[in-house]
Amino acid sequence: MHFSIRFLTEYVYDAPVSDNLNALRVRPATTSSQRCDEFTVRIEPEARVGRHSDYFGTEVLEFGIVRPHSKLRIDVRARVVTSEPPDPPEAGWEALETEAYAEAAGEYLLKALDEPEEGVLDELQATARKATPLATLRALCDLIPDRYEYRAGVTYVGTTVEEFLRVGAGVCQDYVHLALILLRRNGIAARYVSGYLWAAPADEGDDSVEVETHAWLEALLPGLDGRGEPVWVGADPTNRRLAGERHVKIGHGRHYADVPPIRGVYQGAARSTLDASVHMTRLDPQAGARA
Amino acid sequence: MLARIAQELFWLGRNLARAEQMSRLLDGVFQADLQGRPEDPSASRLGWDSLMHIMGASREDDVPSNRDDVLDALTFDSTNPASVVACVARAREGATTVRDVISAEMWEAINTTHLRLRDGDLSSRLYSGPYSIYKHVKERSALFWGLTARTMLRDEASAFLSAGGRIEAGDMVLRMLRVALPSADADVDGAADGQAIALLQAVGGVQAYRRAVPAPAHAGPVARFLLFERNYPDSVAAAVDAVNSALRQADAQPRNSEPILRLSRLSADLEFRRSAEGDADLVRTCREVQRELGLVDADIAQRYFGGARAAA
Amino acid sequence: MAEVDTTSPQSAYEPADGFFDELFHADGSPRPHAAALAAGLEALGAERLAAAGRRRDAIFVQQGITFDTTGEDGPTLERPFPLDLVPRILPASEWTHIKRGLAQRIRALNRFVDDVYHAREIVRAGIVPWRLVVSRSHFARAAHGIRPPGGVYCHVAGCDLVRDSDGSWKVLEDNVRTPSGISYVLENRVAMTRLLPGLFSEYRVRPVDHYPQLLLAALRTVAPAAEGEATVVVWTPGPLNSAYFEHAFLARQMGVELVEASDLVVRDDVVYMRTTHGLQRVHAVYRRLDDDFIDPLEFRPDSALGVPGLMRAYRAGTVALANAVGTGVADDKAIYHYVPEMVRFYLGEEPLLENVRTYLMSDPTLMEHALGRMDELVFKPTGESGGKGVFIGPTTDRPTLAGLADVIRRSPEKWIAQEVVKLSTVPTADEHGVLSPRHVDLRPFAVFGETISIVPGGLSRVALTEGSMIVNSSRGGGSKDTWVLESGDDSGDRAAPLRPESLPPTLPDLRYGAWTGQQQQQQQTRDPARPCSPA
Repeated sequence: MHFSIRFLTEYVYDAPVSDNLNALRVRPATTSSQRCDEFTVRIEPEARVGRHSDYFGTEVLEFGIVRPHSKLRIDVRARVVTSEPPDPPEAGWEALETEAYAEAAGEYLLKALDEPEEGVLDELQATARKATPLATLRALCDLIPDRYEYRAGVTYVGTTVEEFLRVGAGVCQDYVHLALILLRRNGIAARYVSGYLWAAPADEGDDSVEVETHAWLEALLPGLDGRGEPVWVGADPTNRRLAGERHVKIGHGRHYADVPPIRGVYQGAARSTLDASVHMTRLDPQAGARA
Repeated sequence: MLARIAQELFWLGRNLARAEQMSRLLDGVFQADLQGRPEDPSASRLGWDSLMHIMGASREDDVPSNRDDVLDALTFDSTNPASVVACVARAREGATTVRDVISAEMWEAINTTHLRLRDGDLSSRLYSGPYSIYKHVKERSALFWGLTARTMLRDEASAFLSAGGRIEAGDMVLRMLRVALPSADADVDGAADGQAIALLQAVGGVQAYRRAVPAPAHAGPVARFLLFERNYPDSVAAAVDAVNSALRQADAQPRNSEPILRLSRLSADLEFRRSAEGDADLVRTCREVQRELGLVDADIAQRYFGGARAAA
Repeated sequence: MAEVDTTSPQSAYEPADGFFDELFHADGSPRPHAAALAAGLEALGAERLAAAGRRRDAIFVQQGITFDTTGEDGPTLERPFPLDLVPRILPASEWTHIKRGLAQRIRALNRFVDDVYHAREIVRAGIVPWRLVVSRSHFARAAHGIRPPGGVYCHVAGCDLVRDSDGSWKVLEDNVRTPSGISYVLENRVAMTRLLPGLFSEYRVRPVDHYPQLLLAALRTVAPAAEGEATVVVWTPGPLNSAYFEHAFLARQMGVELVEASDLVVRDDVVYMRTTHGLQRVHAVYRRLDDDFIDPLEFRPDSALGVPGLMRAYRAGTVALANAVGTGVADDKAIYHYVPEMVRFYLGEEPLLENVRTYLMSDPTLMEHALGRMDELVFKPTGESGGKGVFIGPTTDRPTLAGLADVIRRSPEKWIAQEVVKLSTVPTADEHGVLSPRHVDLRPFAVFGETISIVPGGLSRVALTEGSMIVNSSRGGGSKDTWVLESGDDSGDRAAPLRPESLPPTLPDLRYGAWTGQQQQQQQTRDPARPCSPA
């Protein structure tokens, strides 16, 4: 699929602020099933933007606005082509025990999030565990939305999994954090993915939709029969499915804090109000019929 | 030097000068209060609650204050930012930060003043006779500034310390005048000698006044003396000049310096008012000069402590 | 050995069994290099030694050379840094060995830091497991791919050395984040020369006061600025930090500004400090706070501390940070276990200084082994320093150990176990001037700029309580001036001819081993001897 993405963020401060420094992780990655053709960022007030690739390989854009200002506008535009990833391999649990798997898994097998009291997790972990790692991954994509309501506004970026479980509802970020814990506890390496999702209405009628930045995950599944490299397979518990060509990936990390779309600080005691929108347009509407 | 350190020094000077001038003010008001008579028209001007008000220390739930409450609030109440104890405590805190910049003897002078003020013994003496407490603060303050003159390198750091001390002294003299002077519509000459003399005594300027001014110590001439007399070190005009010259010493480009330009204008203005003005305008003058000093303070913070200018 | 006086009553006393005493042989006679010192102390007498101690406390309080300790009931107390007046002496040959061993170790640690944030060769070679590296709490992902000027990461290192019962030196832990204590080394030396100048008369002691210049030179070397133009600053968390005294001391000694976070600002990849004349460019920052608190944009977004954008400037190479970001991974206690291997891998040399035998609790077999003999081992959390969270098996009660075992089983990767080292002893004076053996360690300070320089000696920390091996100053430890002798100056040539065989055993005060009674007395009189506030 072929998308044009516009990610517009506007901060309005109730008094002028200065030294406003920000780090953006918003550029679509280039992977085996995705290519970023065009990418521009415009900052208002104008600022020089520095770029580097971080530890996880995500491109980071950094800028600082020194002079006092009471509005900050970040206008990100990108064009991306995605393709459906190949079918995931379905190997047995024993394939997780190999050296090759452990090496590929690296730190994504390690505990990276604070885990709530054992009881709840033990039950979820046992319920999610199926005949193969892939089946477990699919099961999780249903189990979590079955158990926990998707509701915006009850959690925030810093919500822990324990709080999410207590509240019983949350958003994609919370779903993913819980899924990561359960996968890792089952010995499956898993990582947090930040990105954009083409969420067109069911009839696929529109070429253009308002969305938000989205989070899903990737699990490392071993190759078949102990042969072949293990593969990172995307899964989206919010939408009860494996990730596909509608998912536009920005980057990954151990958890949300490794790939936050925007992180910033400024000088001044002013409060800010945030208005962010992601606008996605399909540039190949004729292909829409396929889905 | 670091803007933060310069600011600490400036406020160290301000806090110490405020502690000293507050002690002088309370001492002066206390003495005048003892001598005030009910029929004296000046008595109302020396109300203890107006003192709280003019120090910015009154609180919303305040009922008219009695003498002991005010004395306590402005002397030993460490939660009241205007109190002598609080000023000294802040000065000591600041001195700790700039300990490497000031001399060891200066630090010890502040430290000891602070420790002594916290002694229970001193506070119990407040009601029997506050004189000795205020004398202690005045003497310790004199010791500090004397040590500063003797032991501190005369560099940028000492310039900011002295600028802070002098701007505060000028501001406090203005506050004292506003406590002591009748309002503009009242007859200035109605103010009793006793009150004007108490004021002079408070700032320690009786002898200087007698030698410099032939007129008797009525409120008008005393106020003019404390406002305009450049040769008297604690006058507002002398304070303005002292801050000005301290900043000139610290600033590499005094011609572009907003606080220096403002101080120069203020200095010329004071000279003009001295010759042009009748006593009736003195209250207004005090108010205007005080506001101007407030702007100088803001300019100083902006130019030297903000560090907000882009690098060359 | 020649000067043993077997007729002396003192020879009946021996240092506690199984420990190495650095100044005296087991029979109570002084080791050759200590003979002159013992004679000097005898000449001085207990009375005068005690008087010197009182002068020392008064001077330290007056000058603010104090340390905050946490009292039993919580509040912190400011007390004079307890400098013991009996120096510790290291003969030249011993120091040469230590120095070489440390330089070798620091070179290896530095290579390791570079490696884990770049090529990861040691991981690929199968020597250090990657998962161990990435699970270290101080592994700094933000440092990935950044190579500081000169490839130097560990500009200041302070490794803790101990001496086992056979007298051999071992490394107990590495500190390559923000090791502290150097100011006490310098202040101790100044205090000793003033309080007890006589003790120096028979020795040629190597000076230590050039440390600030070494540090400044190293910082200038790594600063991205033309020669002689680098602006260097010391960054302190502030006056509430327990080592603030040292931060101010170093800034003063180097003649540079002592800054706090609010003094620094980053504009377009460049670090400036706010001065009264506007912004001034900063080229090198000797920072005395951990990675977590240097840049809220990269590390802890919840923390308002730090200088936003600092990492951006660091990445752009416009500023040098000492120590570099991410060095904490190298002084983790689990990584410590691999340092001898690092020396072999990176340098192709055999390690000159040994590790203390260490068991990684992340290895299930080793964990079971260690938990089976908890009362014989020391347990340490891997990410801490300064003795925090350490359990010493032999002196910990059973319920506590049982609780600890649960904690370790829950997160074994955060713990190591070590064999107990029988720390060496050095005679230490109590407040009556009476000597008794107390356990010591040694933290030499190395500065890595163009080359590695190590200040002779270092901070000798001493456990002031009888039998205790906890030397951390935050937990009641004291310190000693540490003398490294010029070569050829061991008492054999100069001291011995002057002071023949009649040495210490006749000292009424040098009652080696006779300290039980005195110890009680010391405790009774401790408080009155404390200096009070100035009048």
